[in-house]
This record gives sequence, C-alpha cells and structure tokens, in this order.
Amino acid sequence: MKLKHSLFTRRQFLNGLLGGWMGALLASFLYPVLKFVFPPTREPDQVILPFADFRDMGPNSVNNFLWGTKPGILRKNDDGAYLAFVGVCTHLDCNVSYLPDQRKFFCACHDGWYDEDGLNIGGPPPRPLRRLVVSIEGEDLIIKREGGERVEDS
Amino acid sequence: MKTGIQSWLDDRFGLSSITKFLREKTVPQHKHTIWYYTGSAILLFFTIQVITGFMLVFYYKPTLEGANESVARIMTEVPLGWIIRSVHSWCASFMIAFVFIHLLSTWLTKSYRNPRELTWMSGVFLLVVSLLFGFTGYLLPWDDLSLSATKVGTDIPRSIPLVGAWVTKLLRGGEDVTGDTLTRFYGFHVSILPVLIFILLGVHIYLIQKQGMSLPIAAENKNDEVRDIPFWPNFVYREMIVWLLLLGALFSLAIFFPPSLDKAADLMAPAPEGIKPEWYFLFLFQTLKIFPAKILFLNGDTLAVLLMLIAGILFFFLPLIDNKPAERKGRIITVIGLVLIVYAVVMTIWSLL
Ligand code: FES
Repeated sequence: MKLKHSLFTRRQFLNGLLGGWMGALLASFLYPVLKFVFPPTREPDQVILPFADFRDMGPNSVNNFLWGTKPGILRKNDDGAYLAFVGVCTHLDCNVSYLPDQRKFFCACHDGWYDEDGLNIGGPPPRPLRRLVVSIEGEDLIIKREGGERVEDS
Repeated sequence: MKTGIQSWLDDRFGLSSITKFLREKTVPQHKHTIWYYTGSAILLFFTIQVITGFMLVFYYKPTLEGANESVARIMTEVPLGWIIRSVHSWCASFMIAFVFIHLLSTWLTKSYRNPRELTWMSGVFLLVVSLLFGFTGYLLPWDDLSLSATKVGTDIPRSIPLVGAWVTKLLRGGEDVTGDTLTRFYGFHVSILPVLIFILLGVHIYLIQKQGMSLPIAAENKNDEVRDIPFWPNFVYREMIVWLLLLGALFSLAIFFPPSLDKAADLMAPAPEGIKPEWYFLFLFQTLKIFPAKILFLNGDTLAVLLMLIAGILFFFLPLIDNKPAERKGRIITVIGLVLIVYAVVMTIWSLL
C-alpha cells in the first residue's frame, strides 16, 4: 500500500526499518569481535639502559637492546658518539645485522643494504633505518623516539 | 536386498537418493581424462593432512617457549613421530602441487566455462586457503628460517592501501611477529582454516556433482570420441591405482627425506642468510627481491603487491573474462596462462640458484 505522496510503500518502509535494525544488531556484535582480535601494542616512549653495560664498546661496534618487541641496535661511532636504530629492515621487516668491517647494515632477506648511518644504499629497502635518539644522563643510557612523537610503524 | 538396519536407516536419512546418484554417475573418457584424477588425489592428500594433523596436535605446543622443543620431541622421542611429521610436511607439498596442477588443467582445458564459473571461483578460494594452510604451518616449528619467512610474509599485505596495516596486525596479533603470532597461526591452522576448507570443499564438490564432469571443447563438439564409464566401481578402481602410486611416492620421500628442524628462533637475532619460503611461494619471493626500491614515484614493493592483488582478482574472475573460449580471445588467454607458468618456473629456478 502506498499513500499518494509517499516515496515508498508501507512494505518497503517496514522492510527497510527491519533491515536497518538487523544491520545495527549485527554491527553491535561485530564491534567487540574486531576489538578483541586486535591486541593493543604500544611502542615504548623510551627505554632506559644501564650505561655501564655499554661504556666499554669499541669504536665502530654495535650492541643490541630491546625496543619494545623489536630489536634495537646501538652503534658507537669512531668519535665515541652513540647512535641508535630500530634494527628492522624498512623493506619487509626482517631483522638487520651490522657488518663492522664493511661499515654497513645488511638485511639477508632480500639483500638490502644500509650505510653506517642507516641510509638505504642498495637492494629493495625504500627508506633509511629508523633512528632513535640517544642521551646519557648520569648512569643511564636513555633511548627515545625521534622527535618525541609517535612514529607510525611503517 | 536391503537388510533390516539398512532400510531402517534409509527411512530416516533417505540416503538411497545419494547411493542411487553414485550408482548412476558416469565419467567421460577422452584424451584429457587424466586431469580428472587430480581432484581425488587432492582429496586423498587432504585426508592424510587431517589425520596426521590430529596426531601432531597431541604433542605440539603452540607457545614461544615450547614450540620448537615440542617439534624436536616429536622428531626424537615420540614413537614414529618423525614419520608422522615428515608425512604431514611432504603431504602439504604434494597437496599444493596437485592443487596447482588441477587448477592449471582447468585453465588450459577451459573447464571453467559456462556454467562452471562458480566451481572455478570456489576453487580459487580453496587455493587461497590451501596456501594459507602452508603459510601458517611453516611457522609452527619456530626456527630461524620459518620466523623470517613469516616476518616477510605478514609484512607484505601492509602495502595494500587502506586495510593493509590492519591485515598485518590481524595476522601477527600485534605490530610485530612475536610469540602471540605463533599462537595465532596455530589457531588459524587448526581451527579457522579447517572450518573454511570444509565449507568450500562442500560447495566445490556439490557443484561438480550437480553439473557433472566437464568435457573439453573438442569433445563437446563431437570431434573427439567420448565414451562414458560408470563412476562406481570402474572409475573409482582406477583412481585407487593412482592413489596407491601417489602414496608410494609420498611415503618414500617422507621416509628418506624427513624435514629438518633448526634451533629455536630468536626474535631479536638478525635474519639468517638464504631465507626461503616454501617452494610454492618462491616465485613471489623472487619477484619481490628483484623489484627495485623505487619505480617512478612508487615504492617498489607497494607496486609489486598491488600488481599481485590485481592479478589475483583477474584470476578469480577468469571464467567471466574468458567468456568466448573457442575464439581468438580464448586462445590469447590460454597463451597468457602458459606464459605465467613459464614465468613462475623461471623465477622459482632463479631463486634456487
Ligand atoms: S626485508 Fe630487508 S631487504 Fe627485504
């Protein structure tokens, strides 16, 4: 049945109402399911390491630390400064290693290369390694996210 | 003559319509009949996977601490455990290989043409689920190689616009591959994927029974001689011969070349040299490796992933695209199929060099 000036019939209206209601009900079931399957993972804002463990590193050598669930790489420069990287390839996420004699980072997964400052110089990696900020305060070695802001994992 | 129990059950289930169907089912004989055997071979391998899978579940522990150790225990302590794992691992390869053969034979004989488009499409889903079975199963022994392969594999979807990052997170159970990923992959492997594959297999097999075996175009036009043989028992017995041969090959390989097991994966260790996914992903792996970092203004891997995605979608809709199989367009599509086979083979060999 359709009123003269109505755009749709009563049946269409009721079907639409019922359908919309069922859709909303379904969505309200789906929402908690989706919430559940994505666990919260936050990257750390900073990690604090005892400086004593890293003081004796030779120049052009690296050490590992834990950056949340990723490996971090701490490198000591020839001039004694520390550089920190997230040791994960920017191509497809493999862990990289540092080759001191070549002064390069290497990713074995698809032959990716980075120079000693983490710049991508060969193979598939599209971006430099992610840098972290290192500071030394008293007995602590503090490693922070660059610029302080949250970097979306890429 | 039906016994009392048979007719009692039949009154309740009405199974006689099914047995009648099977008694009357026929299989056409022509020069492409051999491809019909690939389907039942896949079912055979699938059944073996289910049974050996059930057995492995009894000992396997899907946790960061226990996974590698429990597989080692299966290989060394559990009576005949090494054979069961070896069969499960080899049978996965056999199954995937036959899925590829089955699919390529369908492509090249064009069995997907009207009215069998949906059979093809359900088959493409089955292919995807089979590959996911392989991919998730590869991680479970939790050694260095499987960890790196999983890191790469789960990072690939990230390049898909909009949903990519979520897919990666869903697969990994977080931003990174961790112990949670292992547990999640186990969940996929033993609960979600099995349900999916049973549903899809049901649809696929139903469609085939409903529509009967397809005939090659030449046979359909009566250029070839076609003779029907009864499915039961004539064809089934022939299939059994094939099964016995395949089982012989499978068990021989499983016994003489059991899969290895490296030391447990270390999440923080650099990727080992020479990481390789399972052989059926090698051509994709090699494609990713040779794609340059930047093509014009796009990321190389983004482009590669988008191309693969588009290829996958075209592949799914192939029966609708290839709608005039006997004409020129159809022949071009056959040639494209052959070119893709050559590409995959060349890339696979290249990645092994
Ligand atoms: S993941 Fe490092 S080069 Fe591909």
